[in-house]
Amino acid sequence: MNRHLHAAIHGDTAANPIENTNRRQFLKIASMASGGLAIGFTLPGMASPASQDDNISLNAFIHLQENGDTLIYSSRCEMGQGISTALPAAIADEMEADWSRVHVEQAGGDKDKYGDQATGGSASIRTQFEPMRQAGAAAKMMLVAAAAKVWNTSVDNCYAENHFVINKLNKQKLGYGELASLAAKVPVPKDPVLKTKDQYRYIGKALDRHDVGLVTTGQRMYGVDTKLPGMRYAAIVHCPVFGGKLKSLDKTAAMQVKGVTDVIEIPRLDVPYGSVGGVAVVADNSWTAQQAVKKLVVEWEAGPNAVYNTKEYKQQLVANVEKPAKKAAERGDVEKAFAEATHKVSATYTGGHLSHAPMEPNASVVWVQDDSCEVWASTQSPDDIQKTLGGYLKRDPKDIKVNVMISGGAFGRKFKCDYVHEAAAISQQIKAPVQLIWSREEDMRTGYYHSINAQHIEASLDKDGNVTGWLHRIAFPSISSLFNPSLDRAPDNALGDIENHPFGIANLRSESGEAPAHTRIGWYRAVYAIFYGFAFGTFADELAHKAGKDTVKFLNDVYDANTNPEQADQVMRSKAVLALAAKHSGIGKKLPKGEGIGIAVHHSFQSYVAMAVHVKVDGDDIKVLNVDCAIDCGQVLNTDGATAQMEGAVVMGMSLSLYTEISFKDGAVVNSNFHDYPVLRINEMPNVRVHIVDSDAKPTGLGEPGVAPFAPALSNAIFAASGTRYRDIPIKPLSA
Amino acid sequence: MANTVVINSKEYAIDVADDMPLLWFLRDRLEFTGTKFGCGSGLCGACTVHMDGTAIRACVMPISAVAGKSITTIEGLSENGDHPLQKAWVENNVPQCGYCQAGQIMNAASLLATNTSPSDDDIDAAMQGNICRCGTYQRIKKAIKSAAFELAKEV
Ligand code: FES
Ligand code: FES
Repeated sequence: MNRHLHAAIHGDTAANPIENTNRRQFLKIASMASGGLAIGFTLPGMASPASQDDNISLNAFIHLQENGDTLIYSSRCEMGQGISTALPAAIADEMEADWSRVHVEQAGGDKDKYGDQATGGSASIRTQFEPMRQAGAAAKMMLVAAAAKVWNTSVDNCYAENHFVINKLNKQKLGYGELASLAAKVPVPKDPVLKTKDQYRYIGKALDRHDVGLVTTGQRMYGVDTKLPGMRYAAIVHCPVFGGKLKSLDKTAAMQVKGVTDVIEIPRLDVPYGSVGGVAVVADNSWTAQQAVKKLVVEWEAGPNAVYNTKEYKQQLVANVEKPAKKAAERGDVEKAFAEATHKVSATYTGGHLSHAPMEPNASVVWVQDDSCEVWASTQSPDDIQKTLGGYLKRDPKDIKVNVMISGGAFGRKFKCDYVHEAAAISQQIKAPVQLIWSREEDMRTGYYHSINAQHIEASLDKDGNVTGWLHRIAFPSISSLFNPSLDRAPDNALGDIENHPFGIANLRSESGEAPAHTRIGWYRAVYAIFYGFAFGTFADELAHKAGKDTVKFLNDVYDANTNPEQADQVMRSKAVLALAAKHSGIGKKLPKGEGIGIAVHHSFQSYVAMAVHVKVDGDDIKVLNVDCAIDCGQVLNTDGATAQMEGAVVMGMSLSLYTEISFKDGAVVNSNFHDYPVLRINEMPNVRVHIVDSDAKPTGLGEPGVAPFAPALSNAIFAASGTRYRDIPIKPLSA
Repeated sequence: MANTVVINSKEYAIDVADDMPLLWFLRDRLEFTGTKFGCGSGLCGACTVHMDGTAIRACVMPISAVAGKSITTIEGLSENGDHPLQKAWVENNVPQCGYCQAGQIMNAASLLATNTSPSDDDIDAAMQGNICRCGTYQRIKKAIKSAAFELAKEV
């Protein structure tokens, strides 16, 4: 399994992976057979460094055609986060291309051509902004050089502007299309000169998504939408308990349903992204297949995870963090700090499993033939499809062709390709292309869940209300358990966000409590930042009250106490977003009775987000009125896209802090659909205002960082409004 | 009763089992994939289409119940994708993943057909059945209002 890849993308070190600073890029250029210019380049993870060669099989991120149309391939997977707009816009900007002449196409899965396409960890912009800009800048320089040749003048006398090269001396213009084929023949610039910030045309502006028109007319193709001649439709029921297996199957009734042709057993494929095992029905259409699945008479042998009951398990996690656990990291002398404390404060926080529940359930089409295998799938990681199917079919991963379809939401779920493996298993047996769409119920019950968790923090304050010591215990089944099922608790590096939190705490110890996994754990939008953000953000508010300070002042003090020079930037940027959110929210002003504003800051995935949540509380009724959200993600590529990501993060943050929780009983998931896994609906949507820090820093991602600070800010707001402190999320679980 | 159904102004024979929901007749039989499957139980609104102008959930509407009726899907809402709602959706960059949006737009179109200047509460009440997991609700509200405003200008 490609654990290195995942460590690089998401890592079990949670939200703050180390940067790879290798900036060397290789451009490759070719003229296209049809005329025009094609530019490709290498990105980290590609097989071979590119060279200059007319006959190379191009990865071709940019195709400039002779009519001026410009095609840019988006190598990362689109799932609503807007990456297929943001990165091509960076190319177009440096290239001085006219955005209205740019068409963006999703690249197929091909690591050799497009480098690492696995899309997660809010990493796309962080890792690809620079190379994309360089390619665009190189294209522009070559077009300028080509024009200079035509005019027989020096390149210094020419400049590019909005799809034209202009001759400064006589104001003559040549269009990009006219120049394309000529440009392909000029030498490739070694060090493309990048624009300065004031020269940006698209970067940092509010940019229209390139494909909205297709969405509003129902023409955008998702994983569920693929149709092939001769394609069959399948539905599936999975083994309800992870690690269990089929005991008996009576398929008679299912086979009698008109239109049903096959019932196929799919045994568990014991690799991290393989099927848990199930039984599939193949029919003329999805509906018939779904109906026939219900007619299967199946008995499962549950296996050892039948002991899993989340209610008791959570209590056990709480017990495990309220007593000494295994030390992960330590600095200073926590015991001494505690002994000398003026005040000691402690609290325990919990959170439940979450299901990603994207609106598009898991779906793909696979066609396995004797000499080929082609996949059409909503996915975040075509590379993992190639590896998993390659392993399953005993073929070279390169021989698995993956068409990356737009995902109807993913949030981390579609990084795992168990559903694609199942379609492959079916297609292989029926010898036809097959579309497998999971029902919502199967999607919810067969997940890679966000970890259930408990945290216990004890801290000491001195007489001035400064934090002197911090003991932080956490227990949660970790993502590492997916790759190493024998783990009985989260590994030390999964606790890195405690040790590396930008709060300045001289004496600190982190401990990992026992928490063996009984189900599959996976990355969920914001990952561990969800619970770390919740505990740090809520506990800071509790400490502020004990210290008799307002929370904003308390936070500033605890950031200022950080004397580690390596974290100076984190401290400064955390404080800046805090100040911005505080200012816009008006925290501290007098509010009507029953209203309150809470604030929290969290640094994750190298971005910084502060949220101030304004609530109105009346008994059990919690109404979120406003959310002021301040972000620092370095240079922003698309301000509208960044704003949309924050609006979405608030909605997801609100769903998980108020409502969503996956429960297990006797090893099986209890929830089944949106009635018992209630996500936020429009009537509860607060007014979200997004404030972006103007920054020249390296751009960082925003898909995830906005989720973390919502829950603590909400909990703090409810406390401010009503005096009730919520330490367990979701606050209003359905099946309490 | 006629065993045909009109979809986007064209008549189609109903040649599937009576109890097949309209959603799957559209998606699998006619291959109109703009209408989406989200929950199959009338809980999410992804499958919203119009029956004689009113929003219905296609996933729980047996094909037999739409015989003789006129159905409009997202593909047929307007000739050129220029219904005021579609325009407002583009102007406000509403979609993120976009998967729920056909249902959102169809539901909103049904609302505007009966209420030309919906209040916030009207929008909340009418649109509550349509989930957007990406969280585009704020923009949906804004877009519905701006479309209502444009429609008011037209009449
Ligand atoms: S798919 Fe019809 S309401 Fe969800
Ligand atoms: S835009 Fe993704 S579910 Fe609504």
